[in-house]
Amino acid sequence: MPPKNKVATKPKATESAPATITTTTTNPTTTTSTSQPASQPSEPTTVLERSQHRYEQTRPFEAARRQHGLSKLSKEDQKGWICDQLLHLTDRLPAASRSRLLGPKASKEIWWTINGTNSIVRGLKYKHKSEPHTTWGTDRDGHDVGSYSIERFDERTKKRIALTALQVSSRVFRENVEREKRGYVDARSGQEVIVTEREIDEEKVRRSKMAALKKELYGEITGKLASSVEWEDVVPIPHEEPEGALAAIAYPAEYAEAMSYLRAVMSKKEYSPRCLRLTEHIIAMNAAHYTVWLYRAANIFALGLSIPEEIEWLNEVALANLKNYQIWHHRHLLVEHYYPTIASDPTALAQFAKQERDFLIAILSEDTKNYHVWSYRSWLVGKLGMWEDEEELKSIETLIDEDVRNNSAWSHRFFLVFSNPKYATPGKGATERDEKVTQELVDREVKYAQEKTYLAPQNQSPWNYMRGVLVKGGQQLASVQGFVEEFVVKLGEGEEEEEVRSTHALDLLAEIYAEKGENEKADLCLRRLAEKWDRIRGGYWEWRRKCLTKSAKVVEEETEKVEAVAVA
Amino acid sequence: MVVRTKGARCRNRAIFIRKFPKQKGNMAASNPTSRPNLDAITDDDFEYVDEEFGSSYSPDQVQPQPEPMIPDLFKQPPLVKDDLITDTSRLQDQTVDHCLPFLAGEDGPLELNDYGLPRLNREKHVKFLKQSLGPLPGRFVAMDASRPWFLYWCLSGLTMMGENVSSYRESVIATARTMQNESGGFGGGHGQLSHLATTYSVILAIALVGGEDAYDVIDRKGMWKWLCTLKQPDGGFQVCMGGEEDIRGAYIAAVIITLLDLPLDLTPESPAYDGGRSNLLTGIAEYVRSCQTFEGGISSQPNNEAHGAYAFCALACLALLDNPRRVIPSYLDVPRLVSWLSYRQYAPEGGFSGRTNKLVDGCYSHWVGGCFPLLEACLGSSGSGSKEKNRTATGLAAAPETLYSREGLIRYILTCCQDQTKRGGLRDKPYKMSDAYHTNYVLSGLSSAQHQWDLDSDPLPLSEGETTPTMAALGADSIWNVFPYIDDNDQIYEDSDRVRPIHPAYAIPQKNVAGIKAYFQGRSGFA
Ligand SMILES: [Zn+2]
Repeated sequence: MPPKNKVATKPKATESAPATITTTTTNPTTTTSTSQPASQPSEPTTVLERSQHRYEQTRPFEAARRQHGLSKLSKEDQKGWICDQLLHLTDRLPAASRSRLLGPKASKEIWWTINGTNSIVRGLKYKHKSEPHTTWGTDRDGHDVGSYSIERFDERTKKRIALTALQVSSRVFRENVEREKRGYVDARSGQEVIVTEREIDEEKVRRSKMAALKKELYGEITGKLASSVEWEDVVPIPHEEPEGALAAIAYPAEYAEAMSYLRAVMSKKEYSPRCLRLTEHIIAMNAAHYTVWLYRAANIFALGLSIPEEIEWLNEVALANLKNYQIWHHRHLLVEHYYPTIASDPTALAQFAKQERDFLIAILSEDTKNYHVWSYRSWLVGKLGMWEDEEELKSIETLIDEDVRNNSAWSHRFFLVFSNPKYATPGKGATERDEKVTQELVDREVKYAQEKTYLAPQNQSPWNYMRGVLVKGGQQLASVQGFVEEFVVKLGEGEEEEEVRSTHALDLLAEIYAEKGENEKADLCLRRLAEKWDRIRGGYWEWRRKCLTKSAKVVEEETEKVEAVAVA
Repeated sequence: MVVRTKGARCRNRAIFIRKFPKQKGNMAASNPTSRPNLDAITDDDFEYVDEEFGSSYSPDQVQPQPEPMIPDLFKQPPLVKDDLITDTSRLQDQTVDHCLPFLAGEDGPLELNDYGLPRLNREKHVKFLKQSLGPLPGRFVAMDASRPWFLYWCLSGLTMMGENVSSYRESVIATARTMQNESGGFGGGHGQLSHLATTYSVILAIALVGGEDAYDVIDRKGMWKWLCTLKQPDGGFQVCMGGEEDIRGAYIAAVIITLLDLPLDLTPESPAYDGGRSNLLTGIAEYVRSCQTFEGGISSQPNNEAHGAYAFCALACLALLDNPRRVIPSYLDVPRLVSWLSYRQYAPEGGFSGRTNKLVDGCYSHWVGGCFPLLEACLGSSGSGSKEKNRTATGLAAAPETLYSREGLIRYILTCCQDQTKRGGLRDKPYKMSDAYHTNYVLSGLSSAQHQWDLDSDPLPLSEGETTPTMAALGADSIWNVFPYIDDNDQIYEDSDRVRPIHPAYAIPQKNVAGIKAYFQGRSGFA
C-alpha cells in the first residue's frame, strides 16, 4: 500500500485492503492505521456533489460502508459504523430515553468511539443520487438544479432573496392601494393613506423586476402576464383558500397566474381584447371552465366582435376537446346573438345553416353519439328553421347507413320529422298522439324503420322508432302485426321449434295481442321472454304480465256493468 | 382460473334471519310502526345463525371445490344476436369480452364467495376517496370548476361505506366559504360564477358533515334571490346566469328549495316574474314532462335523446314536488318509462347503459338504478300506507318484488367496477380508471340494489277543481321507510358488504336530509 498522507485515495486502491477511517484523536493506539475517509472525492463542483460531500464528511463510517461493504472495513471502523447506526436510529429519542434504551455504559462507549470522527452529531440524512428532483427541483429548462455549479447556485440564491424582498415591498404597496380605496386613516399620522404617482411608478419598476426574476428563476411562463407591459395596470387577485381546503389543486403556476388576472378583470367588469386573449389562454389550460366561457361570450358581445370569426376559432377548440360541453353552450350563445343579423336574409341564413351542418358532420364523424353535439344540433334546427332542409334529413340517413344502431341519429330523425311546427301540435308529449300527423308521413316513416330492422332485427333503435311513429300517428300497433310476426317463429311449440330473431319483436307482439284482447297469447310472449329469450328483464316481464290480468279485470268489470245495465 | 381461499365454501357463514315479517301481499294489514325504520337498521335487527357444518369444518373433510354458483345468464353472450357488424356492435362485443372473465371470477387471484363474487373492497375504496379529497396534483386543473363535486362524491361515498365524515366539518366549512358568492349560490371555487351543480354539491356536502356551524355557511336569502334570477318563464331553470336551461337545473332547484325551505315567491328581478301568479315551482313539472322522449326515457332538454342521468333527475324532481304515486303518472308516460329503464340493463354484463345501443357503465347503477325505488313507489307496490293493494293511481299493476335484476347489477358492480389494484375506487367498466364520480355513483347504485323502499304516505287530496297537484313541494316531506332487500333466493353477497341506504330523491342518508331540513324549517323568513 502506498503512503497516503492527506492524499485522496482512489477507491480501487483500497478495495483489497480493509478500509480504515477511525481517526487518531480518540484512540492513540490506532494512530498509525489511520487513513482518509475512503470516498473523499476531489473538490465538489456541483450543488449535488457538495451536499453528497457534506454528507460523507459527517457520516464517514456510513460512507465507507456504502463504498466498500461492511465486511471490508477494519474492526475499529466496523465498531464505529455500528455506533453511528445506533446513534442515528435512536437520535429522535430524547437523550434520557436513549440512554435508558442503550444503557449508560453502552451510551458512553458509543460517544467515546465516535467522538473524534466528526460524525453523528451533525449527521445528515442520505439523499440518493437517483432522486435529485425531489431534492433540488428543476429550472425552467427542465434542468436539475442539483447539477448547477456552486457559483451558479449561489447566484440563484441571491436572486431568490432579491425576489422575496421585492415581493414584500409589492405586498405593502398593494395593501396601501386597498387602504386608499377604503379611505383608511393611518393611526400614527392621522391622515388618509394616499398612494402617490411616484409609488405607482416604483411599483411598476418593481413588477418588471419581479417578472424578470421570476422568469429567470421559475421559467418564462410564470412571468408571462406579470412581466407584460399590457397587464401592468392590473393588480391580480390571488387564489384565496384556507389551509386544509378540500380537493385543493396544486395549480400549475401559469394557470394560477392567469386565474388571478381573470378574477381581477372580471371584478372590474372589464371587456377588452386583452381579456379575450386571457380567456383563450385559460381555455387552453382548462376548457371545462364555465365561468371563463361565459366571460368570453360577454367580451365578444361587448366589443361587437365578429361572430363568424369566433365560430371559426371555436371549431378548432371543439375538435381538440370532443367531450367538452361548455363549448356547445358558447356556440349556442353566439348563434343566438348572430341570428337577428341574418334572420331577414334567406341566402345568408341558408349559407350559415350549411356551414354549421358541415361542421357538425365533421365533428360527429369523430364521435357519432356525442350528446352535446346532438343537443346543439336539434336546437339549431329549431333556431334556423331547418325543418324542410332536405340536406338535414339526408345527412341523418347517411349516419344511419353507416351505423344502423346509432340511436342518436334515430332520435334526431324523430325530432326532425315530428316536431316540425308546420304540422306538429305544440305542447304534445312525445309519446302522445298528434292528430295533425298525416297517414302519409306515418307510412313513410314506418316503412323506413322496417327496412332498417331487416338489417339487424335485434337492433332496438328502429323498433323504438316504429313504435313511436305509430303512437304519434294514432295508429293501432296491430297494423304492423304481420311484419312483427316475421321475427317470431312457432312460439310455445317446443324448445326445438321455437325461434325468436328479435326479442323486441316478441315484446311488441305482446303489446299487439294485448291491444286486441288476446291476453293468453300476449302472456305467452311475455312468459317466453322471461323464461328464455330475455331473462335479465324477468322482473319487468312479470310486471307486464300483471298488467295484462289487471286490464283484463277492468274489461271484465266494465262488461259486467254494461250487462247489468242491459238487464235492467 | 377460479382461485378461492381454503374453506371458502364451508366457512362459518352467518346468515340473516329477519325479525320483522317479510310481507309483500298484505303489507297494509301490518302495522308500519312495528317495523324497523331506516336508521334503526343495525345488526341488532338481525340474528346471526351459524350454519351447522361451518363450525365443524376441517380442511381434511373438504370435498373438491364446487364451481361457484354463477347463472349462465352472466356467463354467456346474449341468445339473440345479429350478424351485421357496425361500430356500435363492435364496441358492444368488445365490452362483453372484457366483462366476461371478471363476471366469471377469472380475472385474478381474488377470494370469491360461493356465488363467485369478490368482496366489496371497502378499505381500498375508503382510502381512494380520502385521497380524492386532496390535495390534488396539477393535472387536476381540468377539474377546477368541479371541485365541489369532489366534496359531495367523496363524502357521500365514504358515508355509504359507513365512515363518519363529521371530522371533515371544519374543512368543508372553510372550503365552502371560498366558493360562495355574495350574489347567492356557490361556484366551482374562488372567483367562479355560482352554478346550480356546484351549489347542489356544496349543500349536500354540508348536509353530509352536518352541524349548525356548517348549515350557517349557507346564505339562504342570497340563495333565494339567485334562484329567482335563474327561473325561466317555461318553468325550468338555467344552471347559471347566462348558462343553459336543462332538467338538471329543475331537479337541483327542487332539492335546494326543499332542503333550505326557501320562500316560493319570485322576486320582480326574476325572468319568470308575472306579478305574483307564478312562483319558483310553477311549471317545473310541465318542464319535466316536455323532456320525455318517444322512447319513453328522459332527455336533458326537450327534443334530445333519452339518457339515464336525466331520467333520475326527472323522477327525483317530481318526487320532491308531490307524492310520487300521484305526480309521476300525472306528468309522465309511466309504461313507456318503465320499459325504457328496464331495457337499460344488459346481459351478460348485468349493469345499466345510459342510452339505447350504448355500453354499460357503472355510474348508471345510480342514474338508472336509482329510478326504480321512485318508480316502484309510483306504482304503489310497496307502500304500506296505500289503501288499496294492487291498485295504483296509474291504473297499472303494482310492481313485482323487483322490477330489475338486482343480482345482475350487484354482480356487475362487485366483479367489474372494483379497481382491485392498490389504487382502489370504483369505475365505469373493466380497464377504465376509477374516479371519485364513479366511486360514489356505483356505491349509490349498490345501495339501492341492496335496499327496498316503502313510500309510507298517500297523496293529500286535491283541492276542488284541481286536476293536477298544486306544486308546493309536498313530495319533499313524503315518508320513506327502508329495509334491507332480501332476495327470495339466496343472497349472493356478504352481509358485511351491504352499504348504507340513501334517500331516493336527495341521494344522501335520510338522517342528513332530516338534519338540514330541521335546521332551516325553523326559519322560514330571513331572520
Ligand atoms: Zn360513467
